[in-house]
Amino acid sequence: MITVGLLLGLALGAVALAAPRFGLVSLWWKFRANRERARSEDALKHILAWQHRSKLASLESLAGALRLSAPATLRLATRMEQSGWVRSKSEGIALTRSGEQRALQVVRAHRLWERHLSDDANMPMARLHQAAENAEHTLTRDEVERLDAHLGHPQHDPHGDPIPGADGRLASIDAVSLTEWPVGKPALIAHIEDEPDPVFQQVLAAGLRPAQVIQVLETGPERLVVSVEGSECRIDPAVAANVQVSVASAADLPPPDAVRLSNLPQGACGEVVELGPACVGFSRRRLLDLGLTPGARVEVALETAFGDPRAFRIRGTTVALRGQQAEQIWVRPLAEPSATEVGS
Amino acid sequence: MPHSAQSIIDLSDQLRRDLGGGFRDRMVTAVYEHAQELVSRSVHETGAKKWDFDQRIDRLLTSRWLGLPLMLLLLGLVFWVTIQAANVPSQMLANAFFAFESAAAGMFESLGAPWWLTGLVWHGVFRGLAWVVSVMLPPMAVFFPAFTILEDLGYLPRVAFNLDWLFRKAGAHGKQALTMAMGFGCNAAGITSTRIIDSPRERLIAILTNNFVPCNGRFPTLIMLAVIFVAAAFPPALASIIAASAVVTVVLLGIGFTLLVSWALSRTVLAGEASAFTLELPPYRRPSVLRILYTSLIDRTIFVLGRAMLTAAPAGAVIWILANVQAGGQSLAAHAIELLGPTGEAIGLDGVILLAYIIAIPANEIVVPTMLMCYLGASMMMDVAAYDQIQAVLVDQHGWTMLTAVNLMLFSLLHNPCATTILTIWKETRSVKWTALGGLMPLAIAFAVCFLSAQAGRLLL
Repeated sequence: MITVGLLLGLALGAVALAAPRFGLVSLWWKFRANRERARSEDALKHILAWQHRSKLASLESLAGALRLSAPATLRLATRMEQSGWVRSKSEGIALTRSGEQRALQVVRAHRLWERHLSDDANMPMARLHQAAENAEHTLTRDEVERLDAHLGHPQHDPHGDPIPGADGRLASIDAVSLTEWPVGKPALIAHIEDEPDPVFQQVLAAGLRPAQVIQVLETGPERLVVSVEGSECRIDPAVAANVQVSVASAADLPPPDAVRLSNLPQGACGEVVELGPACVGFSRRRLLDLGLTPGARVEVALETAFGDPRAFRIRGTTVALRGQQAEQIWVRPLAEPSATEVGS
Repeated sequence: MPHSAQSIIDLSDQLRRDLGGGFRDRMVTAVYEHAQELVSRSVHETGAKKWDFDQRIDRLLTSRWLGLPLMLLLLGLVFWVTIQAANVPSQMLANAFFAFESAAAGMFESLGAPWWLTGLVWHGVFRGLAWVVSVMLPPMAVFFPAFTILEDLGYLPRVAFNLDWLFRKAGAHGKQALTMAMGFGCNAAGITSTRIIDSPRERLIAILTNNFVPCNGRFPTLIMLAVIFVAAAFPPALASIIAASAVVTVVLLGIGFTLLVSWALSRTVLAGEASAFTLELPPYRRPSVLRILYTSLIDRTIFVLGRAMLTAAPAGAVIWILANVQAGGQSLAAHAIELLGPTGEAIGLDGVILLAYIIAIPANEIVVPTMLMCYLGASMMMDVAAYDQIQAVLVDQHGWTMLTAVNLMLFSLLHNPCATTILTIWKETRSVKWTALGGLMPLAIAFAVCFLSAQAGRLLL
């Protein structure tokens, strides 16, 4: 009896250890392999980022970025060299052609995942980066391509960074740091650098978002005063350096005689001018599909107890929108609500 | 030539980059303009009377002061009608089934079948089925059509519209109000209906919190407690109205928990802001009787009843075995009750109630029958002819107080979802993690809330 029990226990233990997919050995092996993959991919990203700044990464910079000990970093670099991804030079570590392609694919997965979290899950901008840091190593190439198609082949991530193409091509961004922008000239926020995190959080706390049009009112070594959508905010130059801006064209500015649909009073009518630039991805497609295209007529039909959401009459249907959506829609107020409906 | 094919792909990629996001806008705009042109050529309108009428109703149903009270009134009305109309048919069905049972058991005995076979088949499996059918079928046959009428009229989107501000504050989707409403019928159906929510984050919130509205399987328990403990204190003329309001109160509490847990989830494991919310408010329609009968009786009643019967049959067998297999001088059921006693006491219930809940994991409908069977020491689920008999058993013989009743209502509202619901969560999420959370989180909340309420109650009383 005892022998049978012992044998059974041994057999169970052996299965738990050595089972092909869920055994402890195979799980440990998988964990090791995943960690290895994540580390070398993070290293590739680091070297790529330095190359974009026309610098070569070194073992020291690598150790700092990955928080690894010097011997571990050396082992990592040796393995990457053996895989043919990097070449050590006297000035530092450079990516090979295949290493660069691989790094760009990781960046592509990272930025597409951020886009997905922002568009589909509406995750706050402040948390996107960390979530994508974890996901970028687990997505397969096929999953990345499907994500890209699902998101409609976006060009930029939520911070304004260009997303590398499937072929590894990366569009350059033509922007300068906010600290170098002249006072008084309207500037379009092209990109907000998401690292280091505390700086990024300060930029977000100041109310700055990609695709916004802002104006520098005052500049100096201690602070910059910037006007954002009618309100003023002060930011440190060190923080402002992480914000890249480009020339705002007429299309980026809010239309002159238009108001946000959320500001249209109950019972009033308006004609859609455009959807705001901050309205992207799925929610933009949704609003367009509902018929909120330029030229469409909108009437504010119903209001709930607390003023939000409100229901609007669009092309013969009644559609409820939250204030958050309605403020993305610019309309030109129409004087007289006509008796007959257009387009119903 | 492969070279030219590659160059075409490159060109298209390049063009796509240059197009930017605006081309989608222009495409949709062009489609709408074309449609508009076709409409203006072929459709002639003479007035907008229908729309005026609809708008007048909408102004009333979504108005600042009347919107929410009207909603509560309609909800209360549906429950009141269900309570009123389901009582007598339930009783008749139960009597018929139990008469059939004793006849069939008698026939088995006269044919010389062993006692355990008769017991297992008729007093176990059949009795479980009979209870589920007689307790569930009449309320469902009233509740589902009443609910389908509201749905068919187009009222439910207005409910979602009215409640959206609450769900927005909780970081959830406005359409969660709709899936929650579906959960009144059956939580599994409510969870399936969360497919209407596009955002994956908010869909998960809706799935994980759907359990906090009482489903049809739990309404009989709530209704029974409301009738014998709450309404008993009022004159009989008011009793059904009081009972309905007590049930409405429990439902409101459930909605409160739905919002609270949604809020907590969207600040922790499912962090995010409320996403785009677009909800079409369709024009009001005259409900079509045939369609209502079909969707509410075939699609819902028969479907829900069918799966309840599938789980009730083995549960009936388990109850019979527990009550009839002896070990160490008492039945297995008695052992289990002793074991669960202290935990039950701590949360203001007792061992019997907890055992009933464990047996009823497959289907919550059989909680009350199991409980009564254990209390009475009978060897099978018994049928109790009237509510005042149940009250006599619980209060006089087993020391139930108002606190027990309140805690049982709370526990019934909050505890873990039934097996079908858990299975549905797994089917919809395909994730062990979310399924485990969906099962264990309500259980933990139920224990915590009942423990607090029991301690508070004992301090005050």
